Amino acid sequence: MKATTIFRVAVALLLVGAGCTPERGVGAPSSASAGGVASTDPITIGLLTPLSPPGDPAGGQLIQRGAELGVVYVNTVMKGVLNGRQVQLAIEDDAGTPATGAAGYRRLVTEKKAVTVTGQFHSSVNIAVNEVANGVGVPVISTQGSAADITAKHYPAAFRTHVIDPFRASSWLSWIQQKGYKKIALVAETSDYGVGLVNETKAQAVAGNMNLTFDIEQFDHASTDLTPQLLKAKAFGPDLVINIGVGAPADLMLDQANTIGLFPAVPMLVSYDTPTRAQWFQLHPSDGVGVYFIAYFHPKEDLSDAGSWLATAYQAKYNEPPVYGALNAFADVIVTAQAIQKAGNTEPKALIAALEDPAGYKGWAAVPVTFPKDGAGAFYHTWIPPILILQYTQPNQNWRDAKLDASFSKKQ
Amino acid sequence: MLLGVDLQLLSQYVIAGLMIGVLYALMALGITFIYSVMKMINWSMGQFYMLGSFVQYLLVARWLGPDLWFVALPITAACVFVVGAILQLVLIRPMFTGGIERRDEYATVITIALLLLLQSLATVLNGPDEHTPGSHLPNLTIGTLPVSGATLAASVGGIVALILFAVLLRRTWIGLALRAAAQSRVAVQTAGVDLMRLDMIAFGTGVALAALAGALLAPVYLVYPTNGAVTTTKGFEIIIIGGLGSIPGALAGGLLLGLAEALGSVFIAPAYQNAYGFVLVIALLLVRPTGLFGERLRAA
Repeated sequence: MKATTIFRVAVALLLVGAGCTPERGVGAPSSASAGGVASTDPITIGLLTPLSPPGDPAGGQLIQRGAELGVVYVNTVMKGVLNGRQVQLAIEDDAGTPATGAAGYRRLVTEKKAVTVTGQFHSSVNIAVNEVANGVGVPVISTQGSAADITAKHYPAAFRTHVIDPFRASSWLSWIQQKGYKKIALVAETSDYGVGLVNETKAQAVAGNMNLTFDIEQFDHASTDLTPQLLKAKAFGPDLVINIGVGAPADLMLDQANTIGLFPAVPMLVSYDTPTRAQWFQLHPSDGVGVYFIAYFHPKEDLSDAGSWLATAYQAKYNEPPVYGALNAFADVIVTAQAIQKAGNTEPKALIAALEDPAGYKGWAAVPVTFPKDGAGAFYHTWIPPILILQYTQPNQNWRDAKLDASFSKKQ
Repeated sequence: MLLGVDLQLLSQYVIAGLMIGVLYALMALGITFIYSVMKMINWSMGQFYMLGSFVQYLLVARWLGPDLWFVALPITAACVFVVGAILQLVLIRPMFTGGIERRDEYATVITIALLLLLQSLATVLNGPDEHTPGSHLPNLTIGTLPVSGATLAASVGGIVALILFAVLLRRTWIGLALRAAAQSRVAVQTAGVDLMRLDMIAFGTGVALAALAGALLAPVYLVYPTNGAVTTTKGFEIIIIGGLGSIPGALAGGLLLGLAEALGSVFIAPAYQNAYGFVLVIALLLVRPTGLFGERLRAA
């Protein structure tokens, strides 16, 4: 075999490898521009989400599932937008890296002519993308970015449909006071999410004179052995461990805390809704019971008719109920479609004005999605679902039957 | 108390560091073994670790059950050996037969391409789920450290695998041929040994060692498409510490890295656990650039 042939094989493999990350586009090829387009051309919504490492591909894939079903909903149930024009999704992988995310946003807006970009998962990427969006003007609707800075800078193009750090911290601090816990171990990853939550929790506890003592243990997201952090946390003698890991680290922390005798002797609160996934009791058959966890809607609460449509379609397609990431991405797509309908065109300024409409839009929840432009600090342009604290009380329990321990709502 | 650190906590860290060190050594052994025979670095080693964890999961969770996890280990290693041998035949062998002048660059491009391909395929085929083959082994206490049965089994399995590998290298004809190839590829060829076949065996064995580490750790660190990322990083740290191409160096490097992370965590902070290995690497490169067991090459 000649050297040139071999080199071609290598380059082809590289291309296949890069292209094998989950599909980059769904629907018809895009030829539409943001503004003056032929009336039958499909309208492109950009999905920028982590689909490969060092990002969290699991988080991105769940978001992609919801967004794809959102497009189906818009094209079938809503019969398209602007007199029947179809909507399509253009997908970019941000790999959980700010530079890749910023480049992906530019590509979606300039090459794919996306009229909005949604699907953001990692706060650090979201913050970088918003800096570009602030200049370009095409709105970004954050699906699961929780850092305050995503909307605290009050950029006109920055929107969010997710719980923010200050609200998450205030919710679990209220719960901690209800429970009477005094010594809290925060075991957190060194990401914007982990560091942001640790700082916010400490700051609010001090500001509220809550008389709490904290032990802060941090770890890199790529770490698999969290025993050193957990041994130190155990030596601290906490009343509660807050597990601030995302993805595999959250699962590993529970197992390793169980091994060294930290959990269930000391209660553990998981900082987000990963225990609602169908795989929870497969991963934790013996130690998954007793854990407290954050959720964003109660499974017995009413969904909107669109949310109910998604729950049925998702169950049929993936053989499991939708989790919050998929619900939120679905909502971001259908909210965009409704805003386009209200604006009457896809110009960025008109879309931003439409998104700010206080009447709001139908999302997955029974309450409408609104983006207040007079929201203070990080609450600007942010719709926040309620925070619930649930607890599994039996092995193999369906999360719909988990015990509701507390709930907190932010007035929209 | 030692330097303000509780002795019980210190002993727990040291035990945990040594246990993880054995598994680090197993991860690095494949990289250094392939290098010693083929004079190339396989950058996709972490993906073979991932592949091993998935095969082990499928065998244990779908067919054998958690009680027969040890039966699945050799099957996993054999499956990944075959995959590695085929990939070597198709992708790596042309490096030696195709008139490639810059073999290092070819090997780098082809194995990084393989890394991306395997990782992306796993992400697409697996979806967002994590898995575990499960374990029925009870938790127990070693010295002062409570450990899971699966972790202890992985460490013991790692030691057994290292011993078996050493026996294979020292007591078999193929081991002798592999050691000879590590010393001089030309000499082996002139002695009539089929070097291309030997390369295929070396590559298959190297990736099977990584797969074995993945299989042993599957119930401890879970099974998902990106679980090999750490393996690659730690593996390369270890071969720099131990010396590229040195098998005793891989063992010493693994244990040292485990200890460095443990002691750094207890005396400084666990937050920088992954940084202590790099500090050790930098310190060693300043003092002994060839690593603990590496040898300086003489210029021709």
